[in-house]
Amino acid sequence: MSIEEKIDLVRKNFLTDIDSFPREEKAIEDLRSKYLGRKGHVSELFTLLGKATSKERPALGKKLNLFKNEISEKFELEAINVYRKNTAFNNDEPDFSLPGNETRLGSLHILDQTLSEIKDIFKSIGFHLAYGPEIDDEYHNFSALNIPEHHPARDMQDTFFVDKKTVLRTHTSNVQIHLMEKNDPPLRYIVPGRVYRNEAIGYKSYCLFHQVEGIYINKKVSLAELKGCLEYFVKQMFGLKIKTRFRPSFFPFTEPSAEVDIWDNKRQQWMEILGCGMVDPEVLKNVGYDTKEWNGYAFGMGVERISMLKYGIDDIRHFYSGDIRFSKQFI
Amino acid sequence: MIISIEWLKDFVDIKESPEELADLLSNIGLESEVTDTTIEDSGVIIARVESTEKHPNADKLKICTLNDGLNFHKVICGAPNVASGQIVPFAKIGSVLPGNFTIKKANIRGVESSGMICSERELGISDEHEGIMLLPDNLKLGESFKTSYGYKFYSLELDITPNRSDAFSHYGVARDIACATDRDLKKLEIKADFTPKGLSIPILSEDIEDCPLYIGGIVKNIKVGPSPDWLVEKLKSAGHRSINNVVDISNYILLEMGHPTHIFDYRKIVHKKIHIRRAKKNEPITTLDGQKFKLNNENLVITDGASPIALAGIMGGKNSAVNAQTVEVFVESAYFNPVTIRRGSKNLSLMTDASKIFERGADPKGCLTAFWRVISLLKEISGGELMSELIEFYPNPIKDLKVSLRYSEIISVLGLQIEKQKIEKILNGLKIPFKIKKEVYVCTIPSFRPDITREIDLIEEVVRIYGISSIPTSTALNGEIQYGILDPESFLEPIRSSFCAFGFHQLYLNSLENKIEANLVERKPISMLNPLNIEMSNLRTSLLPGLLKSADYNIKHGNINLRLFQIGQIHFLDSSSENRYNEETYLGGLIHGNEKDTSIISKEKKEDIFNLKGIIVSIFRKKLSMNLRFDAGYHPAFSFFKKIIINNIEVGFLGRITSKWMNALKLDINTIYGFELNLTPIKNMILKKKQFKKINSYPIVQRDLNLVMKEDLEAGKISNLILKIGGKYVTRVNPINLFNNPKAIGENKKSITFSIFFQHPSKTLEDKEVNSIINEIINIADKEFSAKLRG
Repeated sequence: MSIEEKIDLVRKNFLTDIDSFPREEKAIEDLRSKYLGRKGHVSELFTLLGKATSKERPALGKKLNLFKNEISEKFELEAINVYRKNTAFNNDEPDFSLPGNETRLGSLHILDQTLSEIKDIFKSIGFHLAYGPEIDDEYHNFSALNIPEHHPARDMQDTFFVDKKTVLRTHTSNVQIHLMEKNDPPLRYIVPGRVYRNEAIGYKSYCLFHQVEGIYINKKVSLAELKGCLEYFVKQMFGLKIKTRFRPSFFPFTEPSAEVDIWDNKRQQWMEILGCGMVDPEVLKNVGYDTKEWNGYAFGMGVERISMLKYGIDDIRHFYSGDIRFSKQFI
Repeated sequence: MIISIEWLKDFVDIKESPEELADLLSNIGLESEVTDTTIEDSGVIIARVESTEKHPNADKLKICTLNDGLNFHKVICGAPNVASGQIVPFAKIGSVLPGNFTIKKANIRGVESSGMICSERELGISDEHEGIMLLPDNLKLGESFKTSYGYKFYSLELDITPNRSDAFSHYGVARDIACATDRDLKKLEIKADFTPKGLSIPILSEDIEDCPLYIGGIVKNIKVGPSPDWLVEKLKSAGHRSINNVVDISNYILLEMGHPTHIFDYRKIVHKKIHIRRAKKNEPITTLDGQKFKLNNENLVITDGASPIALAGIMGGKNSAVNAQTVEVFVESAYFNPVTIRRGSKNLSLMTDASKIFERGADPKGCLTAFWRVISLLKEISGGELMSELIEFYPNPIKDLKVSLRYSEIISVLGLQIEKQKIEKILNGLKIPFKIKKEVYVCTIPSFRPDITREIDLIEEVVRIYGISSIPTSTALNGEIQYGILDPESFLEPIRSSFCAFGFHQLYLNSLENKIEANLVERKPISMLNPLNIEMSNLRTSLLPGLLKSADYNIKHGNINLRLFQIGQIHFLDSSSENRYNEETYLGGLIHGNEKDTSIISKEKKEDIFNLKGIIVSIFRKKLSMNLRFDAGYHPAFSFFKKIIINNIEVGFLGRITSKWMNALKLDINTIYGFELNLTPIKNMILKKKQFKKINSYPIVQRDLNLVMKEDLEAGKISNLILKIGGKYVTRVNPINLFNNPKAIGENKKSITFSIFFQHPSKTLEDKEVNSIINEIINIADKEFSAKLRG
């Protein structure tokens, strides 16, 4: 028998043996010594080295080393499997009480989820989406929206200034001006985005939040249509049974203006969820629309507020805490 | 603003409960809530202090015996003003005070106390808590405090929108209530039957834009003293403290009709002139409340002809203030330009009730009414006699504004067939006179409504009173179909959902950071002129600092195995471009700890750079079919760093973050891997459509090829070589095994087994074809990389 044949024979026997790999520790160790022990079959092969010529010896040594590695790797692989299974399995019956091999779940942020819901509702009634800059000039954030420089309405929103004429937008309404400057009417968009307010941080307010603003411009748009649109939104978002109330209010860029409240059963009180109104003719004039022909409505809401009401979140700071104990509640 | 319900009753009948009234006002645009004073009966009753004796164990406490008409109660009281004979509000055991504070039996330093004598603050009436509240003698003992006296302080807190200067007063609110409920509004009483005694003072306004109207009068024989009870109670019910019987009058008129007036000590107007002008640079003034200001041209001042005696429309000066010695006064009732007052108030950061009204637009015609109201009250309660004419500066009378309201436009804007009668009733109720001409209401806008200047403003008034809730809801899907991209950010969707599927938590983090954080990357941060605080003075220039801080926070709170990502805007200065402020949408993420929670069935496996690489490859190459590669690069904060190149544009990087950033951010995280990339250039790439390719059903042949090569040769070079040589026949190469025992294969060598998958696009591959490709691979690998087949 040549050396190669001897190796092949040992390999063949080994493969047969590990085909029915033992389950008990003792038997496993016996099998290990049978091949890899000091007097095992593999070690025996190394005795052949002594019989080889000095010329053959290096090549043979290499071959035997490789073979030993091969057998050893295969054996350990099987052994590990059995040791693992021994703890998990009992008489071929898996211990099903052990935890499943779960994939760790990630999560979309609850504001992202809420925003998706909002987007879906408005997309279903013909709204497209638009986005715009978080840093904008005073004109787009204020003046074009009928909030003149020296007017108390500017106090309604505490503003961060980047330079004397540039602000971190206080609402996404700046985008409605950009949209109307670029497009002719009719148009119908919602505009989500991050907005900033220079306000003290507390459970109800943060230095930034996310807004979705909507605008619809067409011929002879009515307040009744605005109400229809927003009632649809509120009912789709909070359920058909939700009670809503429209209450007159004031925003410089809409006239008439209103706020929408929903009835909160838990708190037993009305909770404000969005502001709206008919687009003020000044705003339309500022973008060069003919107010004799076109009018429209606009509305705005805070994604945080909707999310807090819908999911019972009691402190706005949770949203920005980066705490995955919060994230995991909304997987 | 606090509105007293009893006070409203001076002008209009109120039948509603405070809660109903708050709802009624909220529904007509005056957002209201009931105040603490007004909340349901708390069980406080009227009692008399029969006797007081010293507490045996405490100097400042007294044991009081209280009589509620039936029983006597022993109560410990620490108020300095408690004395026998007083009528007081007494909270018996079981009473509930504002703030849900329940009165229980208590043992105070060894003596039992059964109840409490209340201060005004404890009853929610005012901030007064120095002593107990003393009540009039005529109240019946044992009666409920609320129904016999406390009701006088029932009030509402109104949040008045900046357009409604007319609603900053009890009369203004009463007008809206009268209109909404269709009740009568009583007229404000003016007694102008004074016989002037000839005194005068010259009034001049330098710029009639700033001050178009100024009325004044001199009153003598004033006796300064405490105000009568009715006035004290009224002011208190609206949340104001009584000062004296002169100053209170001005406050009373302000709260009653919303017109600010000012009362000067006439003797302190040294030069006997009223000269209204802009302040000179650095001109000093000390205001009534003792604040010292250096003024400038932004401020309008009232001077006595030489120096300022008041900040016009904002606050009086200390030098001309009424005090106990005052016997002669000068009464000012003026109209100032809203913008002038606002700029002045902003300039000094000094806002007062008066400035709030003037900057929103006071009622020019209210000047006269307010003046006469002040004069008659000065006579009634301070004994003052008008000694002058009504001195007036009013060169250009303000004209009434006329606005047309088309009936058809109301219907069109509201989408409601409203009856004309209803519209007329509303206009009448709001005291807006009108004439009807062919379905058009030509309205004369009253001077107290400066917010109404256009037709749409009148429509707003109509719907405000009519009730937006009463407008029908249109369920029609109006308008036409709009073409184009539905959502320009829909490209984020697959990215977001993939990260989520790979176990990442999406975070929303603050975009405002401190200077150190914003300067970590080499982008020039944008800072704010007026930051909220120093920790939030800059806009973030990268998403990673925020993510690292979150990782640290989570690790410290026991969540060690983390995958976090964030999509958001970053901002930085770009002086080279026309658009100075750059805004880009970025994606950033981190992985830390173990890939999975370890258990019997899941062995520990640490997160590593290959996990991160795999995630990036899966999403951008596999899912989004982009041409992705990683190039060498260097970053001081990364111990391992690769640039991410997508479609030949460098969009970001990944790597292992070192202690440099951790130290700067004061975090202690050891090994963490992160990436960040700019989504703005990717936005347009993603739009590539996926196209179906025919599925190759010919058999796949798999062969392993074991090559020995230099230790430092990148395995990827051989993989690429195999793919290149294999051309269309090799579909996949996967390095599956690495072996580097120097004894077996030599020093500085490694052997790698490549598992190669062959498939012919149009037939079954034959062995010899596979062999010939393999031989060529072996040849060229040897030639190019000295990689040899392992024997």
